[in-house]
Parts: sequence; structure tokens; C-alpha cells
Amino acid sequence: MTTLEKLADVLCDVFEDDELVVTRTTSAREIAAWDSVMHVTLMISVERAFGLRFKSGNVAGLKNVGELADLVDRLKAGG
Amino acid sequence: MTRAEVLLAYVAENHPRSVRGIEEARAVDPAAWDAVAEQFLGWAEGVWGPTGWQARCIDAFMRFSNDVIMSQARYEADGHYENSSFAECNEHVYSQRDVMDDYLWGVFITNFCWSHHMELSLFFRDRFLARLPGAPAIVEIAPGHGGWGVWALSNRPDARLQGFDISPSSIAIASSIAKAAGVSDRVTYTQRDALDLATMPAASADAVICSFLIEHLEDPGLLVANIANLMKPGARGYLAGAITAAQVDHIYLFKRESELVALCEAHGLRVTETLSVSPKRTLPKAKYLPRSMGLILERRDLREF
Repeated sequence: MTTLEKLADVLCDVFEDDELVVTRTTSAREIAAWDSVMHVTLMISVERAFGLRFKSGNVAGLKNVGELADLVDRLKAGG
Repeated sequence: MTRAEVLLAYVAENHPRSVRGIEEARAVDPAAWDAVAEQFLGWAEGVWGPTGWQARCIDAFMRFSNDVIMSQARYEADGHYENSSFAECNEHVYSQRDVMDDYLWGVFITNFCWSHHMELSLFFRDRFLARLPGAPAIVEIAPGHGGWGVWALSNRPDARLQGFDISPSSIAIASSIAKAAGVSDRVTYTQRDALDLATMPAASADAVICSFLIEHLEDPGLLVANIANLMKPGARGYLAGAITAAQVDHIYLFKRESELVALCEAHGLRVTETLSVSPKRTLPKAKYLPRSMGLILERRDLREF
């Protein structure tokens, strides 16, 4: 399973929408419930799913799922 | 466009996740929000210029807000605040100039862009500022960004203010905001630990402002004792604090409003009014309701039982 596929599962779970179509360009502009509170909820869920711990400053400016996937891959690689 | 309209457009373009929260803040009182936002953003523009304040202040606000919600999520999971000592906070936050600058500009914007802080701003304006005595000598303990005290000076041309903060960033930013507001000639900021103020002349202040310092201390009682010591008979105080509301540098966990009231009463103060406010939205399945509380204080001069 790729990072993007795993993230898609997390997003579907957090936003309680199994029909959600998640691509690298998916962002808060397409998901109405993705506000500042749900962004943090999503980040905590991603931490649990991937066994990571984000620094807050790394996730505040993420623009879309693609940037999140790249960050996850960097952290998994030890970056 | 007004500065408030520029802010709303900038957030919609660059930070769509935060649009809802700012709409909630404006809905508290749209006319008042426009006025408070214009005032604060006018000061920010005075510091950063007509095109510089958006990226500097609003982006800092987004980072700060994200940090706060992340801290709250960790607190929900762990049941305690992330740090428990001043030394830890000093290492991670207070001694880091870049971190502090960003932090303080972020906090500055929360005064009207968080709905519950907008409510607190109106409480400060209507229940504290509007009822200060004539020609007040004001002491601001830990002014941080300085916005509260500068608001008092802008509102009261007969007022003077002394501010004390341990952070060089605070002194620099508060001074720059005072200059932008045109009140520099009536304010002095000094780098000094708020807990060392016991050496200041007792009963020397007509008003004391201390906004969101108390939860950053290992011994909040010492701060309240200093506030009481500074106040003249008949003086008014404004104290704000956080209750089950995490932040990277919150170390004293207040769990109930009554704890703040009791602390003030135990140190010779009368709490005449309070306002406890919370965000419109909390984390899903949250156990703790984060609150901010404002208290209006008077010195208790008669023996009371």
C-alpha cells in the first residue's frame, strides 16, 4: 500500500466519508469539514497510522494531501 | 478595502481551513469585530507597512493556532500539559527569539480572530477600560505583544503605563506597537521578571493588567500577590488565564474557574466580575473544554469574612 493510499484511508475515516476521492491535490477547498480543528485531528490520526510524531510547525502550512504524503515519506526515511 | 477585509481575503486565499473560525469570531459582534480588527491591524500595518503585515501577522496566527490545537490534542491524549517547568519553556520558547517573535504576533491576532478571545476583548473594553479612574497609572505585567496596554492608552489619553516582561521579544514588539499607535510618550517597557515585582512600590498603580501569564507560572500565587501589592486602594485589575487549555508553554493546569477566583481571594483581592469563554468548536470526542477567563479585580481593604 502506498503512502497516498494509506492516507486516503485515514482521510475517509477522519471525515467519515467512504466515498471520498483522495489525490495528491486534495485539499481543504474540496472537503468542507476540513477546518483548523479537523486538520489537527487528521494529523494526529496520520501520526497513529504511520507511527510518527509531527512537529507542529511542519504541519501548519501543508497545502494538500500531496505535501502531507511527502512529509510522511521524509519522516519515515528518517528526515 | 478596509484592513479587516484584506485579512478576510488573505485568509480565504491562503488559509482556507481557518475561514470558519474567523467567521465565528466576527459573528460574536460584527460591528465590534470590524472596529477591533481595524485597530489591531492598523497597529500591525504601522509596524510592518501596508503590504508587509499580512504575511507576517496572519501567517504567524495560523502557525500559532495550529500549535495550540496540537497541544490540546496531546493534552487530551496524555491528561497533562506537555511541559511542567519554566526551565523547559524557557529552553523551547522564551529564549528562542525567532520562535517568540512569531508566537507573539500570532497571539496578537487571536484577540479578535478567535471567537472566545473576541468575547474576552469586549469584556476587557467594556468592563475594565471603560471604568478606569481618572489619569490612571497603569502597570502591565507581562505585556507580551503589548496590545492590551496599548489599547488602554489609545482609549485613555490621560493614562500612562509601565510594562514589565521577561522576554526581549516582548519588549521589542510591544514598543513597536506602542509607536505605531502613537502612544510611545506615555509608556515605558522594561525587561524584568514579573515575579520580581515585589520590590516595586506598594500601592502605586491605579490599574493593573495581566493577561495570560498566570498559566505560564510554576507558582501563580506569587503573581497574584504581586498584583495585589501594586494596586492602590480603589484600583482595578484585569487578569486573564487559561483553564484546561493547552499550549506549549502552559505549565500550571487550572481545571475550574473557581480556582482562579479563590487564588485572587486568598491574596487580598475581590473578584467583582468574571467571564469564562470557550471556542465554538472542540476536538472530536474531547474530554476537556478549553476556556479563557477574564477577571475584574479590586483590592480588598476592609477585613471581610
